[in-house]
Amino acid sequence: MSLATPTSTSTSARPGARLLAWYALLGAGVLVGIASFAYQWQTGLTVTGLTNAATWGLYIVVFMFLVGISAGGLIVVAGSELVDSHRFEPLSRLAVIVSGTAVLGAAISIIPDLGRPQRAWAMMVSPQLMSPLVWDMAVISVYLTIAAIDLWILTRPTPMPRTLRRMAIVTLPVAVLVHSVTAWIFGFLVARPFWNTAILAPLFISSALVSGTALVLVVTYVTARTTAWRPPSTIYADLARLLVWFVAVDLFLLATELITAYTSQTAYHLAPLEMLFTGRLAPLFWSQLVLGVAVPLVVYATPALRRRTPLVVAAAVLSILGVFAKRVNILMPGMYDLQIALDPGIPLGRAGQGFGIDTLYVPTVVEYGVMLGLFAFLAMLITLGVRRWVAPAAATTERP
Amino acid sequence: MPDDVLGALLAGAEPDELATDTHRRSAIEALPPASRDWGRIDARSEEPRWGMLVDAERCIGCWSCAVICRSENDVPVGMWWNRILTDGDGLDTPSVDEHGQLSMEWLPLACQHCDDAPCEKVCPTAATFTDEEGIVGVDPDRCIGCRYCMAACPYGVRVFNWGPGEHAPGVDEGMVAPRPVGTVEKCTLCVHRLAEDQVPSCVVSCPAQARIFGDLNAEDSRITQLLRDRGGEQLLGSKGTEPKVRYLPPRRRRSL
Repeated sequence: MSLATPTSTSTSARPGARLLAWYALLGAGVLVGIASFAYQWQTGLTVTGLTNAATWGLYIVVFMFLVGISAGGLIVVAGSELVDSHRFEPLSRLAVIVSGTAVLGAAISIIPDLGRPQRAWAMMVSPQLMSPLVWDMAVISVYLTIAAIDLWILTRPTPMPRTLRRMAIVTLPVAVLVHSVTAWIFGFLVARPFWNTAILAPLFISSALVSGTALVLVVTYVTARTTAWRPPSTIYADLARLLVWFVAVDLFLLATELITAYTSQTAYHLAPLEMLFTGRLAPLFWSQLVLGVAVPLVVYATPALRRRTPLVVAAAVLSILGVFAKRVNILMPGMYDLQIALDPGIPLGRAGQGFGIDTLYVPTVVEYGVMLGLFAFLAMLITLGVRRWVAPAAATTERP
Repeated sequence: MPDDVLGALLAGAEPDELATDTHRRSAIEALPPASRDWGRIDARSEEPRWGMLVDAERCIGCWSCAVICRSENDVPVGMWWNRILTDGDGLDTPSVDEHGQLSMEWLPLACQHCDDAPCEKVCPTAATFTDEEGIVGVDPDRCIGCRYCMAACPYGVRVFNWGPGEHAPGVDEGMVAPRPVGTVEKCTLCVHRLAEDQVPSCVVSCPAQARIFGDLNAEDSRITQLLRDRGGEQLLGSKGTEPKVRYLPPRRRRSL
């Protein structure tokens, strides 16, 4: 692989060595992940912090998060195609690489959550078609295929605008479905009033648009800083303008859900809200609103601020973290909220653990290790993809 | 004629064999059917649909049913298929109302064997199923351990095999095979006992006779009669899950 493009001397004296160090770091991360997963495989999910009271945790948060991240690229590309906007065309390849990697990561992230991953094929061989989990598997597979086809089209020597446009017509509805079905996994459960709301699907779509677009922005910036590839200088402000709308809609949907639940003043609505407003999730919830929503929104919406690229990139990083926090704040109140909350509660599942009513879930080192490995693997795929299909292409078409 | 009439009854003797005088005979016939055939299923229709009635007024919160369930079904340490919740101020303290009146009641809780089971609908591999006699079961061979059923169950009665099960000495000789690591399990209504015409072990072990088990389709079963006479509430009825386990609420407040 040719890495060192000596056209730009300002960024780095020895890009080759830096890149090697980056790959070594990611490789180490992947090894940690594999070792953690192997350990969990040997001993069972007992090495996680999960219990019968909080049966889903970090793995499912990451699953929701990665499904969301996958929106950005494909929707930005497909959306621009359909409205004949060429503003984001220079980002097409990069965006599809980010999206495809994220959706692949989502598919992988569900595997360590299974008690018996070796039997997961049963879901494909003899699926129970009423289960939203089966629908999600199907729609994620379609989405992954679309990302692969899009990437193939975009990397042909001759541009294929009409094919790309036809793909966009398929991509958008599937993208909407991916996030909706992922939301319905939670939203259809009568046992969890906090999740059992029709707004969950739109909310997942808006969060997906925020985090996905923000990640495309960050990867664009990093690529421009570390390679010879140069996107149009206005691209950050353009993405920021898009993000104003995405963040605003996301905030509106969250607010309307929380206000509706709060004004109902019924106990089963209030219990999870109290957890968010003043309870154990309050620090994360208020950080999400202030640092993950309000601060980035000000940066995106203020013309003077959004022209300062490093500020916009920092805001995008905050947006991504904010959406991650939001996933936690959606999953955990639903998990903690028992419908029959009488003593002694639920048997937590391991010898010596006893029972619990609202047992705190804290991920273990093993869970963090597995997820570190997954994120390192995805970062590696994005780096390889960008180096292969974005940065070399720029070497010939670089603007002065 | 044995002196231990109750012991003979428990062993399955017919009341007729025990009664030698009219006095004793009438005393035995005065026993409710469930006592006469203690431990045996009292009536069975052509197409049985099994259900359970829990009389909360009779429950004394002793946990006998919960303990025998674990030994009967080989349930590992840390897990319970059946447990007794306390409606009071904590596990062993009564609550006090504004007039100083104490109250403490119990809610025995296990799988509700719903007619419209949310766990079954979400299972991606059909590992959770309802059999032809209405029992909601889990096939450990099909279970992939995604725990979606646990998120879907409003009653919180499913438990997961997080790691290799630990067993207290003498509690690993149950009547059913242990379930593999990474699968979900729960109450089966002692389906293995039903085949031998025996009621579930929690029913037979209840010293207060607070549990009535039987065929909801049999006209003359005690559970059908009691449901007809006294009604029977479904837990979290508003969720629309239609449980086949019903509860008789206490008719009067216990004075403590």
